[in-house]
Amino acid sequence: MVQFQERQFMQAVGNAGEINELLRRYGVKFGIYKNGVFHEQFFPFDPIPRVISAVDFASIEKGLVQRVNALNEFLFDIYHEKHIVHDGVIPEDFIYISKGYLAECEGITPKNKIYSHISGIDLVQAKDGEWYILEDNLRIPSGASYPLIARELTRIAAPQAFKENKIVDNRGYAELLKETMEYANCGGIRAILTPGRYNAAYFEHSYLAELTGSVLVQNDELFVEDNILYHRTYSGGKTRIGVLYRRISDEYLDPLTFLPESLIGIPNLMEAYRSGNVGIVNAPGNGVADDKGIYYFVPKMIKYYLGEEPILKNAPTYLPFYEEDRQYVMDKLEKLVIKDVSEAGGYGVVFGSDLTKDKLEGFRKTIAAEPRRFIAQEVIDFLDLPIVDNGETVMRKADLRAFVLSGEKTKVWASGLTRFSRNPDSFVVNSSQGGGFKDTWVLSR
Amino acid sequence: MGTISLEHSDRLYWLGRYTERFFTTLKALGNLYDSMLEEKHGYQDYLDCFGLADTYSDSREFIRSFLFDMQNPNSAAYSLERAYDNGIVLREEISTSSLSFLQMAKDTLSKARQSDNIRMSLLPLEDTLYSFWGCINEHIFDDEIRNIIYIGKTVERLDLYIRLKYPFAQVEKEFIRLCKNLNRVPKGTPYRYSTKYLSTLVEILGTESNYQNESLQATAALAHLFEPAEVSL
Repeated sequence: MVQFQERQFMQAVGNAGEINELLRRYGVKFGIYKNGVFHEQFFPFDPIPRVISAVDFASIEKGLVQRVNALNEFLFDIYHEKHIVHDGVIPEDFIYISKGYLAECEGITPKNKIYSHISGIDLVQAKDGEWYILEDNLRIPSGASYPLIARELTRIAAPQAFKENKIVDNRGYAELLKETMEYANCGGIRAILTPGRYNAAYFEHSYLAELTGSVLVQNDELFVEDNILYHRTYSGGKTRIGVLYRRISDEYLDPLTFLPESLIGIPNLMEAYRSGNVGIVNAPGNGVADDKGIYYFVPKMIKYYLGEEPILKNAPTYLPFYEEDRQYVMDKLEKLVIKDVSEAGGYGVVFGSDLTKDKLEGFRKTIAAEPRRFIAQEVIDFLDLPIVDNGETVMRKADLRAFVLSGEKTKVWASGLTRFSRNPDSFVVNSSQGGGFKDTWVLSR
Repeated sequence: MGTISLEHSDRLYWLGRYTERFFTTLKALGNLYDSMLEEKHGYQDYLDCFGLADTYSDSREFIRSFLFDMQNPNSAAYSLERAYDNGIVLREEISTSSLSFLQMAKDTLSKARQSDNIRMSLLPLEDTLYSFWGCINEHIFDDEIRNIIYIGKTVERLDLYIRLKYPFAQVEKEFIRLCKNLNRVPKGTPYRYSTKYLSTLVEILGTESNYQNESLQATAALAHLFEPAEVSL
């Protein structure tokens, strides 16, 4: 655990109001729908950073690079020969039942064989200092823009803290993203596809477009002609797009391939992609690798594809699919956290300890009926982090979303999004459920 | 970036128009408020300029509605909100810094609503708006993008100046500015002007007497300036 200089923290804490005011000024918001109505909220920022020592980060970095490389190997394998299934490492049920597996992506090889260009890996640190992987997000992980802009502003509000500590500058994220997009570029301009202003992460889409010099586009500005994706210009011309960083889900990407009712997709995009004329960041079909059920198998993947021992641990996880694990889950349900594999964003997460006897019994029956639908995990005793709440410093649960970018090399962004729960009794840190965020300082010594 | 979609060109144009509408409305209301102190003028003249009916019980209600009422499409608050709506989807073109000034303007206007001295509390808005335009000038590298915003701005300013019966010298200056901006528009784009309506404007705004007598026709010609039916090449 890194020791901080109290004075520097107090400077940041003292300026919490100013920093939040600046974040407000720069429009750092996220959208949320409540009762069918769209609200734009400011994302609450806590000025006390999470600090990660250089030694800790070096180990996390190595583990994350290893994990993401294995996941990219897995994605290539699953959409081609499926050796990992034939060799009995992962049961085929877990592949084909997964909502994230897209038969339409079979046989497609993206440029440079990279599927997950931007991976958001969620970790927690236990009280004993050990880091555990909670979740892999390989579809459209969001959140990098928040610590990025927060850092810019905290450097203004608390300069001394940055002068006296050796904190790795995280403001190179845009350059890293640009490099990553360029590596996937099949010839043309870079574009970021957004579903529009009323998407929860619209701030991020537009901010990253600005920082990377990409064109921010919506589907009605794009069209595919002769298997090439174009941006329709206002003078009636067209500009070829070489790489599309899409911020919409797979199923809405192309109404001629996936959901025909999608109004936010681009007809024939998948044909352009399949022909190798446009890079899609991240590749469609990645959901099969970040499925909560597949998570259990990631350490096995690392051994299988890389022949290495996993550096970072998974949270102890049980699959009710396996008889032995199911028995354990049934016996210890009240002590475990149960996750519905088809849910995301903190939804579908149930703590056994919160359930009444009747509800526990009901849940046991549901698990017995649909064992593939759930995973169960031991509740990790998270390291609580200090936050400022109404002028008081209190301790709250927090996680860390690390961003791993895969271009010519796989690189870990020396920062990340630390999200915390504002509710003292909750482990759920998602912004959609009222959580806030902190900056993440990686020290260079 | 070098590629602008039709949707974005439209947003850029309306960003210019609504930002200018907000700014000119504020200034016009400030002048009106000042002249109403000694009751030299009532607000009826202002309503007449826009062909609006008087539904206000007194000048205070009128001023508050035209400054803060989001339901009033002629209010400053309404225009600012629309400017922000257009700006927020143009972040990568106009920059986060430019957009931040619109957010600051929104915050200042919102605080002013609670103030005892509204005019005083609105003063910083002038600085904010000038900073916004400075930022637009500074951050937008693509001349085409900047020009579309400025066309929106000058069209709006000219329209309001004519409606508010500003002196000819001011109107003439804005018209010259608009012509300069129009000359920079590349061929074949939606902001290439209609020669027919531009000629009408030249005729009316060419002399002070025509301006005094035919201002209604000038605003009509301005409204049709970008009609696609007759686009010059």
